[in-house]
Amino acid sequence: MRGNGFGFIAPLLVLMLVAFNAPIVYMLGLAFWEKGRGFTTEHYEGLFEAPVYLRVLGNTMRISLIATVANIAIGYPLAHWMRGLGDRARMIAIALVVLPFWVSILVRTYAWIVVLGNGGLVNRGLMWLGVTDAPVSFLYNELGVTIGMANVLLPFLVLPLFAAMIRIDDRLLQAAASLGASPRTIFWKIYFPLTLPALAAGALLVFILCLGFYVTPAVLGGGRVPMISNLLDTLINQIPRWEQASAISTLLLIVTLVIFAAYRRLDRKASS
Amino acid sequence: MKRRTFVGAAAALPTVGILCGTARAQSKEIRMIESGGASGESIEKGYIEPLFKKTGIKVVRESPSSLGKLRALVESGQTTTTLFELGSGTILQAKKLGLIEKVDWAAVDPAPMFPEAKNEYGFGYQYFSTIMAWRKGAKEPKNFAEFFDTKAFPGKRTLPDYPWYCLPFACQAGGVPIDKLFPLDVDLAFKKLNEIKKDVAVWWKAGAQPPQLMKDNEVQYAICWSGRVVGDPAFGLTFNGGKADLSFIAIVKGSSPDNKAAAYKLFHEMSLPENQAKAAEVISYTGPSPDLDALLPKDKLWQFPTSKQNKEVQYFENAEWWADNGEAVNKKWEAFATPVALFVCSIRRLRHWSGAVPRAEPAHGHAQRTAGVSPAHTLFHPESIPAARSHERAGRPRSSEHEQARHGLPRRRRPRSGRH
Repeated sequence: MRGNGFGFIAPLLVLMLVAFNAPIVYMLGLAFWEKGRGFTTEHYEGLFEAPVYLRVLGNTMRISLIATVANIAIGYPLAHWMRGLGDRARMIAIALVVLPFWVSILVRTYAWIVVLGNGGLVNRGLMWLGVTDAPVSFLYNELGVTIGMANVLLPFLVLPLFAAMIRIDDRLLQAAASLGASPRTIFWKIYFPLTLPALAAGALLVFILCLGFYVTPAVLGGGRVPMISNLLDTLINQIPRWEQASAISTLLLIVTLVIFAAYRRLDRKASS
Repeated sequence: MKRRTFVGAAAALPTVGILCGTARAQSKEIRMIESGGASGESIEKGYIEPLFKKTGIKVVRESPSSLGKLRALVESGQTTTTLFELGSGTILQAKKLGLIEKVDWAAVDPAPMFPEAKNEYGFGYQYFSTIMAWRKGAKEPKNFAEFFDTKAFPGKRTLPDYPWYCLPFACQAGGVPIDKLFPLDVDLAFKKLNEIKKDVAVWWKAGAQPPQLMKDNEVQYAICWSGRVVGDPAFGLTFNGGKADLSFIAIVKGSSPDNKAAAYKLFHEMSLPENQAKAAEVISYTGPSPDLDALLPKDKLWQFPTSKQNKEVQYFENAEWWADNGEAVNKKWEAFATPVALFVCSIRRLRHWSGAVPRAEPAHGHAQRTAGVSPAHTLFHPESIPAARSHERAGRPRSSEHEQARHGLPRRRRPRSGRH
């Protein structure tokens, strides 16, 4: 054994290779190699012949984008607000942001049905206040899916963003103020640019996670919000056309890897 | 030493399986994958328990039963699971894909049963209905014309996310009587569906959805499986115009002869009317024995898909028609449906009439079983939302890199805009 400790991690590497990477390679190969038929690209052709697959992929990207933007709209002010809190309050705020991690995603998603349903808290509140006469349809449409996804993914954006914000030296802002910059100028010229790499990296992370969402669209979408994972579920479990599913998975994997590469670049930038 | 213990513990896990396996040498235990829920419990109480009492053979149940799982079982060469539940549509598909074995009916030696249940490739064990129901307090429709009339019967609906359920009901709404549904007037069906579309809040996939949606007051009317709503005072319902269907248990391809012999013994138990009556106590679906009705409680007859008053008012699927026209209908459904149904159906088009697997309830009224069409080939049930199979990754935020970041002041101002 050499001194670099490779021997210690070798079993783990083998385990990863066998238990994790080999199945992925097998899965990717499925689309090319059909039992008893040999090599085929038919399933990739099918991908482009049936426009529905690409449409679902496009729709997945669109919803992911909406959810990411919603996340930024909520997450950025939240992280900024947390930065200004006192130590104890900040601890509590962080705990509240992280807390959902310990609750099953399924539970959280179903909780939205209770909150946003026609007889749910929000609608009852709105009707009591007289804002609306009939319940607003929050569920079983894209709005519901977006709300659910934003909720699940908020910590992924807020925590890195908060980490970046807290590193910003207050003296920078004070120096700008002493030179006569208005608060607005300080924010846009100094504060925001310093947080931008972290924001971009966090947003990309959220976007990537959105692409693989399954439970939330299935539960809150009412069968009318198509996401790629739900399509894959149908192809794998119900049809079952694993070869087609493999081709779509490969496409999704490539898209995700490209975005991930962008994320890595930004993330490195953010932490340097 | 420690390592040993660990290895030992790890080895113990499969050992449990092997211990069970030793019993299987004489096929004292076989495995079944069924659709779960109350339906699974009805199999346990109605058929598995009597089998164990008589023969000592144990049947271990698992769920749910999706076609993908069956394919995985067969392709991996795994033959520990002998029995698999399939819908009337999925059994056709499983047969086409070569995933199930022929049933040796001579070896089963069943008590008398309805002919469509005695399928070459499976035991039709459970009749179930798809009917209209409503939340108590909603104005009660008597037929599908009224169900589709959202002006006279205001309220949100939930409909199955599959054309083979929706279209025949829509035709009824257009005035077609149940005995003249096939050949289906597709244009009429879509005309009626377009009228109701804006009032359909949810297109459901899982049988548990419609009753819950009605309880939550998200919808007031539903087309749903009878077993989910009968006997619940929260709902009103009628079998009028409903659809009956039949669920099957099939034998997984490559099962050993010993296991098959045990499976046939279970099939024999499943053909006995007294056992079917026990199963019907658990879930209001009925078995395939012509002698069953006499054994069912009189006051509950109205709940069963196959009791006389219900089977007269329901229709039976015409599988031949769907086999010939399914593809064309699917294309139209694509155009009609919003995106999800769109992808579901276009995939289906690829594989002809595929089906999903029944979730807790399958059944078919023997209503028109005398007709020339083989009623066994009716359509199927969508699998439930496999909600637990989350693909969402619950990673942790990658904070380490930020933590590592230096704390020093950034020396340079970095005007992103490039302006000064």
